[in-house]
Amino acid sequence: MSGNTPSSSRGANAVINDERYRSIFYQVVVFGLFIWAVLSLIENTQINMATRKMAVGFDFLKNTAGFAVAWTPLDYKPSDSYLMVYWVGIINTLILAGISIVLATFLGFIVGILRLSKNWLVAQIASWYVEVLRNTPLLLQIIFWYLGAFANLPRPKQSIEILGFESLVLNNRGLYIPKPQPEDLFWLTALALLVAVLIAIVLNKRATRKQQQTGKYISTLVPTLLLVFGLPLVVFVLTGMPLDWEIPALKGFNYRGGGFVLPAMLAVMVALVVYHSAYAAEMVRAGILSVSKGQTEAASSLGLKQSFVMRLVIIPQAMRAIVPPMISLWMNVVKNSSLAIAIGFPDLVSVFMQTSLNQSGHAVEIVALVMAFYMTVSLTISACLNVYNKKIQLTER
Amino acid sequence: MTEITEQNKVSEKFVPKPSLPPPPNTTGAIGWLRYNLFDGFLSSCLTVLSLIAIGFMCVNFYEWAFAKAVLEAANRQECRITPTEFGTCWAGVKFWFTRFIYGRYTDTEIWRVNSAAIILILWMIPVWLPRVTAKLNIALSGVLIFPFLAGYMFLGGDRNWFMEIMVSVALGCFITVIIHSLLCLFTGAGISKWIIQLTGFSNRSERLHKFPVIMFAVIIFLLSLFLISDVAFKEMPNNLWGGLFLTLVISGIGIASALPAGILLALGRRSKMTVIRVLCVAFIELFRSVPLITILFMATTMFPLFLPEGFHINKLASAIVAVCLFAAAYMAEVVRGGLQAIPKGQYEAAEAVGLTYWQSMGFIVMPQALKYMIPNIVSNFMGLFKDTTLVSIIGLYDLLGMINAVSQDPSWIGLHHEPLFTAAVIFFIGCFAMSKYSQYLERNLGAGHGR
Repeated sequence: MSGNTPSSSRGANAVINDERYRSIFYQVVVFGLFIWAVLSLIENTQINMATRKMAVGFDFLKNTAGFAVAWTPLDYKPSDSYLMVYWVGIINTLILAGISIVLATFLGFIVGILRLSKNWLVAQIASWYVEVLRNTPLLLQIIFWYLGAFANLPRPKQSIEILGFESLVLNNRGLYIPKPQPEDLFWLTALALLVAVLIAIVLNKRATRKQQQTGKYISTLVPTLLLVFGLPLVVFVLTGMPLDWEIPALKGFNYRGGGFVLPAMLAVMVALVVYHSAYAAEMVRAGILSVSKGQTEAASSLGLKQSFVMRLVIIPQAMRAIVPPMISLWMNVVKNSSLAIAIGFPDLVSVFMQTSLNQSGHAVEIVALVMAFYMTVSLTISACLNVYNKKIQLTER
Repeated sequence: MTEITEQNKVSEKFVPKPSLPPPPNTTGAIGWLRYNLFDGFLSSCLTVLSLIAIGFMCVNFYEWAFAKAVLEAANRQECRITPTEFGTCWAGVKFWFTRFIYGRYTDTEIWRVNSAAIILILWMIPVWLPRVTAKLNIALSGVLIFPFLAGYMFLGGDRNWFMEIMVSVALGCFITVIIHSLLCLFTGAGISKWIIQLTGFSNRSERLHKFPVIMFAVIIFLLSLFLISDVAFKEMPNNLWGGLFLTLVISGIGIASALPAGILLALGRRSKMTVIRVLCVAFIELFRSVPLITILFMATTMFPLFLPEGFHINKLASAIVAVCLFAAAYMAEVVRGGLQAIPKGQYEAAEAVGLTYWQSMGFIVMPQALKYMIPNIVSNFMGLFKDTTLVSIIGLYDLLGMINAVSQDPSWIGLHHEPLFTAAVIFFIGCFAMSKYSQYLERNLGAGHGR
């Protein structure tokens, strides 16, 4: 029967049923739809922007921003351009996220280890810490820290002196800290620190190699500490202590001089650190539990000391399970730092996507720039993650 | 001889004395305390420190929540316990509590929200009852068709022909689900079998069995069309929606749309077709790498520009679209994780028996992958439930938005802490229950796959 079908229709059938042609067809259709959607969106946007008399293009970045930013380490004036505002926002976001990442990871390790404590009470407290923090929204926590702790601080006249230091004060304008002012020869101290760190790395590498070759363990802890702290100190003293501290002092109604941090920044930072430390703690716990008990027993039966069992056997293996999720957590910290907008800390989203957007009206360009920043950060971080994953896979096999 | 000596040996077998009881300080409460709380110097120090910390927190909490509590007051000024000090103003929370849950929804219409919630619960309960059949259909109808009914109940106002039909279909589905579940519970057979028996089609050929079922569906549809024909709800524009209700609407729509969208995106990401794969990867990576708040700002500022002239999109709709896009990208990664957990042999076996791509995905891969994914889907929903609070930043009155509104109300100005605490408790209960449920699922769904 099938032999009777004309060859032309069989050829058509063959084309329709061939997976390759079908897949090309589907791809062409999808691509066409995509292009059509993008073009119609662009057209609509152009029409809408024309009717609303909105200008297009990135030229506005050169215009004067004209508004002040509550906190920035950069030298920013309201007469600077929108491009400068973008830069200020990026720096503020990176500072906030960077400090939060370091502290959250550190706190997360502590809480994660406490969760595994043999002490029942401590383990319970740590586990409730994790549960409460993970099961309430971060935004609520940020507002809670701000209103509950950092918005009710006393006025500058009644400032709280932290640990009794007159130069370390907390009031409703922020946290004031002494600001280091390096003098002429301070670069020598910095150089000494760099040299010391390099020497310490070489020393440690040599000690490890020697241990691998001869099995003899050489403790490098004391020489390393001496080098890293001692050498810069010696240079510092020899060059005549070229470091001055700019100390904040109460002048009139407010403190002047020194470095200062906004209460909003403290609140966001505390909230970010505490919230993400709960997630980090879970990762640390899961990582340590992922190392099988046989490893501990094998290490102990080799006669390793308890501290070595942890340091040489458990932690290197646990790290393999901890680091990848930890890096995505860091990415989340960067993304979540954008919630600072809720209590008015001037991060990228707040100064650029809210204030600048409302002033200039360049919605499309500003959204694109902000998203480009976050995408760059996250792609960089995931690239690092891929490199790390490749590295640990190599050592595994 | 040998036998005798062996018997002797047996009779002289060593009989141990009954063992002594363990030392009293290693068993019972004392033993437990010794082992778990005072196991060495460091442990004892930690225990004492923890006890001090707990005691300190309890005392402070008691003082704040109970000792200084003011339960009856008409405004914040009446919450003072001394002329200079405010007490803990639970009266304010009591006054505002309905608003926390329903936003500015008119009091007389709140029953509509409640009954939609009850309908959803009744619709979904059968999925958890072991005796009920056709669970997948029930769940799918609940996710896909219920929103029309709920949408009308929440919004009210006039219905056009489309809403008229969809609301009747949804009501019909609901009635069918209830009848079906009751029949399953009491007779053990589903609704279609029961209809076939009742109409006497059971002794006819199986080809004809679908006709009474279709007839039944038409009757139910007409019945519900008739039922709703006289019903007209007052219009409640969506700027009145708020509180926990709005939070649940946004996150519910988000998760319901994210599941199908996420499945398609994940399949696209694993597709062999380059164009489709690149588009899916770009979508997923774009929306996963930027914070939700930027997507929300994008939605409120750019969506109005994207629409053709003459179309308007309100803030709630654009926020919901933004949350859907965000949730879809995250769900795609959850689905991808589930798909990767399926051994390659399953794909190859499905291909080998001649199933098409969609058949092999629908009948072989997805049912298995879904099982792995359910715990992650639940925790994803939990994350979305928490992230929905961000819509308060763009000016919607969700639970957190209502709480900020309280502190700005002239007669309750400055009332922050008590509402915040209430919201935290509401979120904690919801999320804690969900996370425990997802852990339970993780333990129990693994049956048959566990090592």
